[in-house]
This record gives sequence, C-alpha cells and structure tokens, in this order.
Amino acid sequence: MDLNRRQLLCMSGGLGAAALLSGCGGGPGADSDGGGPDGPPRKGGTLRVGALGRASAITRDPHGTQGNESDYLIIALVHDTLTAPGRKDNTAGRLATSWQASEDLRTWRFRLAEGATFHDGTPVTAEDAVWSLRRLRNTPAGAARLPGIQAHRITAEGKDTVVLVSDRPNAELPLLTRLTTFVLKKDTPEKELAQAPGTGPFRLDRYRGGNARLVRNDHWHGGGIHLDAIEVTMFESPQAMANAMLAGQIDLASNAGAVAARTAAGRQDIQVLRRPNDMAMPIVMRAADGPFADPKVREAVKLIVDREAMVKQVLSGYGTVANDILGTGDPDYAKAVPQRHRDLARARRLLGEARFDLSRTYELITTEDIAGLAESATLFAAQAREAGLKIKVTKQESGTFYARTWLKGDLYTNYWGTNDSVVFFASKTMTTGAGQNEAGWSDPQFDAACAKVLGTADAARRRSALRALQQIEHDRSGYLLWGMADGIDLAARKVRNLPKLPGYGRVQLEHVWLAR
Amino acid sequence: MAGAVSAPPDDRTARPGPTRGTGAGRAAARIGMLLGKRVLMLAVLLAVVFAAVQLLPGDAASATSERGEGAAGVAARRHLLGLNRPLWERFQQWMTGLPTGDLGTSARGQKVTDLLAAPFPNTLLLGGAAFVLTMAAALVLGCWAAARPGGRLDRAIGLGSTATFALPEFIVAVGLLLVLSLWTGWLPAVTLTDGGGAPADWTMLVMPVLALAVPQTGWNTRIVRAALADQERTPHVAAAHLDGLPRRQVLLRHALPGALPTIAIGAATSTGMLLGGAVVVETLFNYPGIGTVLAGALADRDTPVIAGVVACAGAAVSLVLFLADLIRYRTLGDRS
Repeated sequence: MDLNRRQLLCMSGGLGAAALLSGCGGGPGADSDGGGPDGPPRKGGTLRVGALGRASAITRDPHGTQGNESDYLIIALVHDTLTAPGRKDNTAGRLATSWQASEDLRTWRFRLAEGATFHDGTPVTAEDAVWSLRRLRNTPAGAARLPGIQAHRITAEGKDTVVLVSDRPNAELPLLTRLTTFVLKKDTPEKELAQAPGTGPFRLDRYRGGNARLVRNDHWHGGGIHLDAIEVTMFESPQAMANAMLAGQIDLASNAGAVAARTAAGRQDIQVLRRPNDMAMPIVMRAADGPFADPKVREAVKLIVDREAMVKQVLSGYGTVANDILGTGDPDYAKAVPQRHRDLARARRLLGEARFDLSRTYELITTEDIAGLAESATLFAAQAREAGLKIKVTKQESGTFYARTWLKGDLYTNYWGTNDSVVFFASKTMTTGAGQNEAGWSDPQFDAACAKVLGTADAARRRSALRALQQIEHDRSGYLLWGMADGIDLAARKVRNLPKLPGYGRVQLEHVWLAR
Repeated sequence: MAGAVSAPPDDRTARPGPTRGTGAGRAAARIGMLLGKRVLMLAVLLAVVFAAVQLLPGDAASATSERGEGAAGVAARRHLLGLNRPLWERFQQWMTGLPTGDLGTSARGQKVTDLLAAPFPNTLLLGGAAFVLTMAAALVLGCWAAARPGGRLDRAIGLGSTATFALPEFIVAVGLLLVLSLWTGWLPAVTLTDGGGAPADWTMLVMPVLALAVPQTGWNTRIVRAALADQERTPHVAAAHLDGLPRRQVLLRHALPGALPTIAIGAATSTGMLLGGAVVVETLFNYPGIGTVLAGALADRDTPVIAGVVACAGAAVSLVLFLADLIRYRTLGDRS
C-alpha cells in the first residue's frame, strides 16, 4: 500500500533526523527518574501535552471506541471513571471512593465520592452513574468492557451507591470499572456528548480538531490540582511529536516511544520517563489443535527464544524480560517462578520427544499495528532457525488479521496494553471458552485455579491461588511472552510528578506541577 | 480572439444584436462544456475512489472495531455503516448528498463535514501559499534563464530545477526541519493550532510551504523555460527581435503571453501534486490539514471520509484546471 510506504519514508526521515541529532547519545542508562516531587508543589501554569491521534479517527463519545490516545486523554481529564489504575493496589478509587462485595462475590456496591459535582455545579447521583454504565454496557463492545454484568443488573441504591451484580462470583470486579466507566449526567443527549459537563479534574475550555484546552476544576472531589490549564495537541506521528518536544513547543510528549527516547537521551533539558510493563507483545501458539497443540512443543518454543536479545533489539533496551506469564504489572505477579532462559539443547530434545516435524516451514503471522511488533516476529524467526525450526514471517493488514488470524491462527503475534492484572488475562484470554481465548487453550486445572481466585474473598488465600494459577500458565499456556515494553514519556525538566503507571495510567496528569 | 468579437463603436446601433448574442452564446456554451467536463471528471474520480477502497483488504467495520467486539459486533457495525449494501448503491447515496453539502458520516460516527471543516481551509492556505510561491519563483527563474539562452545562468537554472524536482517532499522537509528549526531554533518545528483550529502563528507555515514549493518550483521552472523557448521560434517573436526591440520587452510582451497556456497547464498539474505532497508534509510538520485526515481515513477504510477529502481536493484541482482551460481558450480560441 502506497500509504504505508510513505509513512515508512516519513519515519525513516524522522529516524535520520533523530540519529543526526542524538549523535551517539547514551542508551537507556542515561535516563533520569525525573518526575518525582522535589520540594513543595508550585501552583499555576499551563502544561502543553502532545499525544498521538489521527484526525480521521477522532471520537468524542466517552463510551465510544477511542482509537486516539489524544481523545482518551482529553476524555479522562474531563470525566471521571468509577475507579482508576492505582499504584499499591491495581484498583484505586476515583469517582467511587469505596466498594464492597457481598459474601458470594457477585454483588458489588460502589459508593460515590461525597460532594462530587458536575462542572456545571449539579451534584453527581447514583442515577447518573447507573445511566452511564448502562450506556457503556449497551455499546457494541459493552460485553467485553463489563463482562458478566447485564445492563439491567446495574442499579442505584439511594443517592450515592451503585450496585453491580455479576453473573458469576468475581473477586476482581472493580478492575473492570477502571478504564471506560466515564460518568455523565443522566439522559445526556447524543448530540451533546462532546460538550457534556464531566466530574473530572479539568473542564473543557475549547476543543477543535483533536486539540483541546482544559482548565482546572477548582471543585474537583479529589482535590490537589496544581496546574491552571492543560493544552492537548494531537500528533499524527511520533516523529513530529518528538520534534515538537526537541524544539520546546510542548512540555510533555505522552507515550513517545523508544526512538524518540533515544533522540532525547543526549539532551540535558529533557527527561525520559519510563513506565514499566506498558505493553505486552506475546507470540500466540494454538493449543487446541495444529502443530503446537503438544505442550512439549510449546515449551520448546519458549526455550528457543533469546529474551534478552529481543528486549535489546526490538525494544531498543526500553523494556524488561518476561516469563510467559501475562499481567506482569500485577502487585501479586509471581516473581518466584524461575525465569525461563534460552536452552536450545533441551528445546531440541522436547521437539524430538513430541515428534515435531522440523522439515516443514511454519508461518508466523504479524501486523504493523504497533511499533516493534513485526520486528519481534522477524527476530524470533531468526532465533528459531538456530534451533532448526524454520519460521516464515507473514505480515497482515490489521483488519484482515482480526478477521482471519486472531483467535484462529496456529502461530501469531499479538499485543495487549493493560498489563497490571494476572486475573484479567487469565479470565479473559485463557480459561476454557473465554471470549478472547487467543490460543484456544483449555486446561481443567487452570480453569479451576482461575475460578478459585475469582471466588475467594480472603486476600491471603486468593494470593496463594493466584500463585498456583501463574505456575500453570508459565508451564503450559499458549503464550510465549518474551518481554515487556516500557511506556516512554518525554518531558521538559520543569515538569514534576508525572504519571508512573503503565498503559492507561499515562493519562493521570491531575497532580502534575511545573517547577520554576 | 474568439468570443470577444466587438464591433466598432459607430456600428453599435446599426448591427443587430443576434450576431453578438451568438458569439457570446457560443463562448458560454464552450465554457459550459469545459466546466461540465471538469465536473464529470470529478464524479468519475469519486466513483473510482469508492471502487478502490472496496478493493483494499478489510473494511471500515473491521478496521475500526474494538478488540473484543467479536464477529457479531463487527457484523452489526457493518450493517449500521451500510457496508453490506452494494457499492453502487452506497456511491449513489453519497453522491446525492454531495450537492447539498452532505458528505456523509465517518465510520466512527462523526460528520465528515465536521472532520473537514477546520483542516480543509488549512490545506487550502498551505497549498495556496505554496502555489503562489511556486509560480512566482518559476516565472522569475524561467524568464531569467530564457533571457540568455544557453548562457551560464540558463544552464545553472536548468540543472537546479531538474535536481529540485527530483527531490521528494519529505527529504526537503526533513532537511528544512533540521536546519531551520532543530539546529538553529529559528522556526517552530511543528504546527500547533489556536482555538479556531488554524495554525497559531504564521512562522509555522514557512517550512511546510517551502517543503511543498521547492520540488514544484523545479517542475514549473522547466515548463516556463521550455514554453518560452517554443515561443522564441514563432514568427511574431522572431519579427519582434528583427524589429530590434529590447530582449526583455520581447520576452515579457511577445513571448510570455503565447507561453501562458502551457504554463497554466503546468501550474494546474502542480495543484494536484501540491495536494498529494501535502499528505507527507502535513504529517511531518503535524500541520492540521486534510492530508493527515486522508492518511488516517485510508487506514480505516473509511470511504465517506476518503471521498470527502477527494471531493474537496478534487474540487480545488478541478477549479484550477478549469481556469487553465479558460486561459487556453482565451488565448487559442476554438483551436484549443
């Protein structure tokens, strides 16, 4: 496609510029931790943020499909979700300050923040939240966003309590309410969604063509906002965003990527912030049938990959090695499971035992949806050849990939942007019959482990069940997870208290302040 | 000059109206035909766009679907977007809306006119400025080169124009970016917008305009130079030389007017190339124009948006082509 070639040309142009500029600037080691609040926060100032987005994909609907990071950023600053990604626990309060489950872990009660109001001064009621959640549930992707919760089982209890009843016990239900449960006023007309008052830390001052100016909401229930305003500029390409950062036209380049980070590494006036566990790019092996159905074969493939080399080359070093367990950012992630290393001798032995046909060439299907994905496939194919496993990489266009390969293919790459919950992946992508079971994996022991985790209220017992679950996943699942990419933001020196969480956590700009 | 035949003043009352009427009528019919040709070509182009998007792998429903939407969800959206209806029907429906200014709805539910309202004027500004700069520079350079045919300056301009025309926009753009912004800090690296969606500062236009104008200036300089050379060989220009008129006067008064139709056609083709180059240049400088909209819409297989961009850009190009037609017609009359 001509477009791709042009984009590629643009990119290589940008790369050229980047290489020229950075010269032989230091690698990731040269980065600062930055961002930490040193000294008392200073009030005031306007933060100019760059975020990626495409003009054609602009969406203003808070419950719509936000393809643009810039749109999501604006929406997440204007509107509050019920809960939000947190640091200590992976779910923190937002518009809901506390939540409680019934004995059977099916009924969950969320209490709304006291005194929370919309930007026009109207108090937020449970009715508003119920209307918003139902609206979200009734969108085309609603079943995936609030799995196991029927729209009519979202109800209000009094003025300030929202009740969610799940079809099955779910100890991790609050996780589901973190990302898209934006609360709008009840009965907000479709036409006014874009301008509808939110309850968030910033009010929409103006919006035009993907760019927006937001001003502080002095009455925010969360408090502690220091900035006067945030200006969001949408960038079509990461290169243009990096250039704007280098030229001092923006103060923060959100999710700028590894290339931009390398460019900025030599600059004293720019901090490179790394948010670990941002993006998973697993290789999926079909477990239900086909050449990788034998667990020994899957284990062999997991032993073939050179994880350090993948992180170094595919992620330019901006990432960490992973251990075939998804949800690496989970506070309860099983660090105790021994790290799997490359072991070609053992891999060959396992392939021999499984009578794997090494004379064939196997196809690894990939896309260019995110930076590094296709490169990861190519590098892995080269590594596999060293073990005598012949792999041919085929690139597919995104739409074709989702229609033909995803959930069906024998061997393909994929990516996931929310990585702070082991249970999220386990229940969504690995249990028997789960809607997005990408490898077609079915393991009764794993299913039982997952049900146990979701059905256990006691925290300590749940944690031990979670450990057992992760061991099975490490041993037998269809996922080869070689590493985790960092989320990378660039910021001017004066910007403090920047987001540290991976994935959607990058939008948490409400406590940022500007030093002199 | 055809069409503009005017009788001597003293004959005005004596001559009956119809003669003039016929002349003007013929001109009007001819101009109408030219206009009709351009409009028809635009319609054909739009049909081709609809068909071409159809040929791309995937469709808008799958390209804009959310992960986890599932096959049923995608099918429902396909139905909602009307993608299950025949191509011809969708094209017809979209075309019926066109005269009323309705460009349809994007796959993500935004009105296409809203998506293009801010970007299109920005692209017109960018393309227009680049066009004016290109033509001014090409005319000056072309005439300058033609003033001393075969001279050192002529050869230098010839070589330079070929070289710049061969440069892709993005090379020029990256070069400008490095030199004028990142190394020297003279100009802003990217375009930021004000509240109205237009570039916040005029200095932000400099690099995008130059990146577009430089390659096209090469192209147009060559055309101006060649058209002037052709005119030099016509009898009336030779006669002017023999009359001993100054070179400059012959060039500007006698050769240039005859060269205009060719130059106009060259300029008209430039319009298309300027708008094409805008896709690359706008992305590189984050210029908020329709080029960036088009790039994204193509990835989304978003036919109404793509067709909307093509209709706007096509209308602009058609207008310039039509003006070029008029210049040709004025100069050459019915021989054109």
